[in-house]
Amino acid sequence: MRFVMPCFYAALACVSFGIIFELHNWKYLFSGALTGMAGWLVYLLMEDCRIVPRFFAATIVVAALAELLARIFKAPATIFLIVGIIPLVPGGGMYYTMEALINSDMQLFVRKGLETAASAGAMAVGCSLVSSMARIMTVWRRNRHSGPRSLS
Amino acid sequence: MQNGAEIYRVEESMQFLLAAYGCVESEVFAIPALVMLNIPGEERNYTKMARVRTSSLNLRRLYLLNALCRDLCRETPDLDEAERRFAAIMEEPLHTPLVNFLTHGLVAFFFTLFWGGTLLDALVAFSCGLIVQKMVAFMNRVLANIFFTNLITSLLLAIPPVALSVVGAGVHVDKIIIGTIMLLVPGIAITNVMRDVLAGDFLTALTRFAEVLIVAMGISIGVAMTITSSRVLVGWLL
Repeated sequence: MRFVMPCFYAALACVSFGIIFELHNWKYLFSGALTGMAGWLVYLLMEDCRIVPRFFAATIVVAALAELLARIFKAPATIFLIVGIIPLVPGGGMYYTMEALINSDMQLFVRKGLETAASAGAMAVGCSLVSSMARIMTVWRRNRHSGPRSLS
Repeated sequence: MQNGAEIYRVEESMQFLLAAYGCVESEVFAIPALVMLNIPGEERNYTKMARVRTSSLNLRRLYLLNALCRDLCRETPDLDEAERRFAAIMEEPLHTPLVNFLTHGLVAFFFTLFWGGTLLDALVAFSCGLIVQKMVAFMNRVLANIFFTNLITSLLLAIPPVALSVVGAGVHVDKIIIGTIMLLVPGIAITNVMRDVLAGDFLTALTRFAEVLIVAMGISIGVAMTITSSRVLVGWLL
């Protein structure tokens, strides 16, 4: 039950961000919020794991959902991805890194800094993995239907 | 098409469009600041270059233009019709400034709650979010670069929570600042970098990555300046 409120806040924050990015359609806003919420739920559910796998798994869920929604609504996946990934962006890690630096706590600074960089990296890898897969699948299906044809 | 689309989307869309209109041997090249297009004609080449100034992220235009591009490829109406549809999309109204202003506050509000702040923290963050929106808009008007924009904005946004904690109000400075800097943190750029890398646009990815680093540095330095100077001030007064 303690997972409910953070996920709820994540969804609302995603909606607000969607409005800043000039999304008007409530369907897109809602699905963006759903994506963000799902990502954060996965992150919270994996509380026993280390920080990098958590970010990795959460990003994979967000990206997969975004690709799925893109197929459903026939819109670019980026819309849902950008809105949905926002709760995972390591703003907290950045802040604590900076705080350690001004406290001249070099050990904490290096640890937090590397942790933040690693989670950003995990997000990037997760993201690229899913969209590469989606792309490969699209091309593969297209080729099967209409004979070999290059992508672009 | 630079409302926040990835580079490969721009290139691919243009190539599909050109193919649909019968120019098969054309070349398109795009990097973050520039789109180049070359169509070989019978006697001479037709080349068009466009310098792209980065505008703000507009996901609505992104999907509308994407849909327009699909339609044009499928139906290939004549040029006037295409122009008309394009103009119609560009004239779609944006959110009113007030809505934009308030949602910046709301983002900070919800993110502070999200990171475990109290309701009081969230209210402070709401006002900080409003400051961010005003500052970023002002900095864009005077054409400041992104590093300076982020530095000054985060310097200012850290002042209310730090001041309140110095006075002795029970606020969590870290939660408020984290909630508010989510507005500035370049999360979109990070994801777009990776999407560009896997599409093979390494040049674009490197440029964007440098942007990410600069923005992150600007934010950190701004917040650090406020916190450090508040400590110095407090130590000096006591």
